[in-house]
Amino acid sequence: MENAVYITLGLGAVFCAYRAVIAVRLLSSMLYLACVSALVSILLYLMGAIEVAVIELSVGAGLVTVLFVYALSVVGEDARDLLSVIPKPLAWFTILLVAGLVAWLTFPTLPRPAQDGILSLKEALWQRRALDVWVQIALIFSGVMGVLGLLADTGRGPAAQPLEPKSARIAHQPEEDAE
Amino acid sequence: MAAWLSLSLILIPWLGALLVWRTGDAAPTRQHALAVAFSLAAGVAALVLVPLASPLVVFTLPMGAFFGELTLVSDGLSTVLAAIACMVGALAVIFSVDYMRGETQLGRYYTFVLLFIGAMCGLVLSGSLLFLFFFWEITALCSYALISFYNDDPRAVAGGVKALIITQVGGIGLLAGALAVFASTGSYQIADLLAKAPQIAPGLMSVVAFGFLAAAAAKSAQFPFHTWLPDAMEAPTPVSALIHAATMVNAGVYLLARFYPAFAPIPGWTFAVMLVGLASALITAFMALTAMDLKRALAYSTVSQLGYMVYAIGAGGVFASQFHLLSHAVFKALLFLAAGAVIHGVGTRDMRQMGGLGARMPLVRVVFVIGALALAGLPFFNGFWSKELILEEGLKHTPWWAYGGMLLGAGLTAFYTLRMTWMVFFGAARSERHAHDAGMAMKVALVALAAGTLLTWLAVGGFSGLMEESLPYHQIHALGLPGLVEEILLAPATYGALGVMALGLALGWLLRGRAGVSPPALVEGLSRTSFGFDWLNGHTARGVHHLAALLQKTQTGQMNWNLFGIMAALAAVLLVLWWSAP
Amino acid sequence: MTPLDIVLLVAVLLLGVAFYGLLITRNLIKMVVVLQLLVKGVVLALVLAGNVGGRAALGHSIAVTVIVADTVVAVVALALAVQVRLRFGTLDIPGISSLKG
Repeated sequence: MENAVYITLGLGAVFCAYRAVIAVRLLSSMLYLACVSALVSILLYLMGAIEVAVIELSVGAGLVTVLFVYALSVVGEDARDLLSVIPKPLAWFTILLVAGLVAWLTFPTLPRPAQDGILSLKEALWQRRALDVWVQIALIFSGVMGVLGLLADTGRGPAAQPLEPKSARIAHQPEEDAE
Repeated sequence: MAAWLSLSLILIPWLGALLVWRTGDAAPTRQHALAVAFSLAAGVAALVLVPLASPLVVFTLPMGAFFGELTLVSDGLSTVLAAIACMVGALAVIFSVDYMRGETQLGRYYTFVLLFIGAMCGLVLSGSLLFLFFFWEITALCSYALISFYNDDPRAVAGGVKALIITQVGGIGLLAGALAVFASTGSYQIADLLAKAPQIAPGLMSVVAFGFLAAAAAKSAQFPFHTWLPDAMEAPTPVSALIHAATMVNAGVYLLARFYPAFAPIPGWTFAVMLVGLASALITAFMALTAMDLKRALAYSTVSQLGYMVYAIGAGGVFASQFHLLSHAVFKALLFLAAGAVIHGVGTRDMRQMGGLGARMPLVRVVFVIGALALAGLPFFNGFWSKELILEEGLKHTPWWAYGGMLLGAGLTAFYTLRMTWMVFFGAARSERHAHDAGMAMKVALVALAAGTLLTWLAVGGFSGLMEESLPYHQIHALGLPGLVEEILLAPATYGALGVMALGLALGWLLRGRAGVSPPALVEGLSRTSFGFDWLNGHTARGVHHLAALLQKTQTGQMNWNLFGIMAALAAVLLVLWWSAP
Repeated sequence: MTPLDIVLLVAVLLLGVAFYGLLITRNLIKMVVVLQLLVKGVVLALVLAGNVGGRAALGHSIAVTVIVADTVVAVVALALAVQVRLRFGTLDIPGISSLKG
């Protein structure tokens, strides 16, 4: 019974992820990402990581989606199904190789879960891994600085600009500029 | 006490470098003053340190398990070389006050000179192989920066890059050796290496020994790496005197001397060292015969004399080589600085446009003649004693043909020295160039070095005694002053050598009229391409360029391909992991 | 098949899909979406590793750190994408490559 729940959630997450990757419209991609976030969040809750699940849901499904929608509104939708630069068979082969190897390497060594110690997340985060907290603060600070710098001189103009890109690559050919 | 002095030899010049840089180019007088003050302070500290030499580690700074400890050991070998570096450095800086007067970007110049002096002291004082390499690299950087000081001149930049590349290729040998030592003994400390040398596997030891030989040959511009030093003469002359005559090029010889007890038992090593020295000495002596550029001739001469030092180490005479190092540093710095005074006064480096300058630059002529006589090895100058000591060792321990070659080299040295001196200072003035005499700062430096040339050989007793006491593995036997005089003056080989030198001088005198005439085309071609080695260098450089252009194709600049590369690497790593899992 | 095995499989599959997306995507903003997917897989794997190794709280705290970090990355990447769109006029990755090989 328990397994069934996990399998459903897991398969759902993978399916949504795949749809997100191959979606043609960016908006669809983002919505599928939100779904993946939600499903992963439930999985995390079921594994016992309650705080992480909450953070994942609110940040991944909430904040990030809002950010994406904002960026999309500034940039403009650009729905064209262009061929990828790297030939699909090559990509499939590499991914299967990597994923297969990872699965092969990790699966047999999965032991039964042991009982945890006395530690709670609060203690782990704020005492044992206190450096992480400082790192996160620094990260957030630099992220804010970066965004402020990057968005300093952008108005609301770009969405109204024509969507003509500088060059269109429809067929699968690498850049063939004259040297 | 020794700890503070050793540390200050590195830190005082570095502090001076920082202060000169911060002073800014708008206050040149203050820059000159600061540079002179700090280099003199370092020189005094170095001299005070010399009597305090001991084989013990005087300073330790732990740097974590991976890097070992930064240790400073001030034994006889280190302190004398540090003293040479600091004293000649101070005199070169004093000389620069006049030579570089009115130049722009003095801050850059003095900063690198002082940085170099500190790094050279660190190199010889270091007790850890890894930090020896670290200081080695800093001196290479300073050398490059100073050769290319006139960075608007493409020849200067080319010379600097060439020097950097060739010495760095040798540096790979040093790093590889250091890492191999660490892998087998677990320590970077030189004392540990010397103590455990007999227990290290001979195959590994050979790799280390020949790697160090390559590094030393590249740094000291020995065969087959002798092509960079003549092109490095684009540097300002005080730099040529300090770095390319008296200190940095000695680093290679120092390396060989320091590790001699560990490497001597390796079969073929001492023979290879001897060959390198012999080849360098002879090839560059030939090239000096036909050089028309004053500094180039001196550069060839430097390589030749370094060849003598390397040959001495190959013959087993570590003290003889260091004694000649001391003499050579003093008289070669003297010759370079005097040449600098001439070049500064006349405005050209071409000897064919000089001549008869002795009348207008009397002091410079006198000191140049003193340096030249020491270089040629005439009796009672410091060069005589040290060169004869080397030849004695060579006679005892090397094959007859090697000794003969070095003897021939001595004759050639006398010949080209006379030629050089004559072309510049004597005879009729060959051009209408107006020459002014040297400034006061220049004269001070020149007189100090000339006095050194006449007197440093008197320190042989103290020097060898210091080395005997403080170098436990080298088994050097102290040679007192009376012993030196007796040994040299009573040996028949000395008179044979003197005869060869007299022959060289006579030949030079007879041919002095034709000194400015270009030699036959074949000889000139050989000289110009450094006996074909420059051609080899050029081809190697072009080959590397082609390879780089080919590899550029993989840098498509497209993110997807870059990501693919990352993923391919990940797949490779996982494959290796999967393969090696039990 | 314990639940933990299933979660491991899901994490590996998510990572695989995300890697595939990294290779395939031509749009800069889509790339950021794919990176977010990657991080979801990583978070799952981290919490799983914590549970399995017996140090659950440690796994949780590192997962929180990773989420924060990757959110900052997404924010800055989106801001960059906006600027790229302004200056190059396109978000197509091959089109904005200005290195001449």
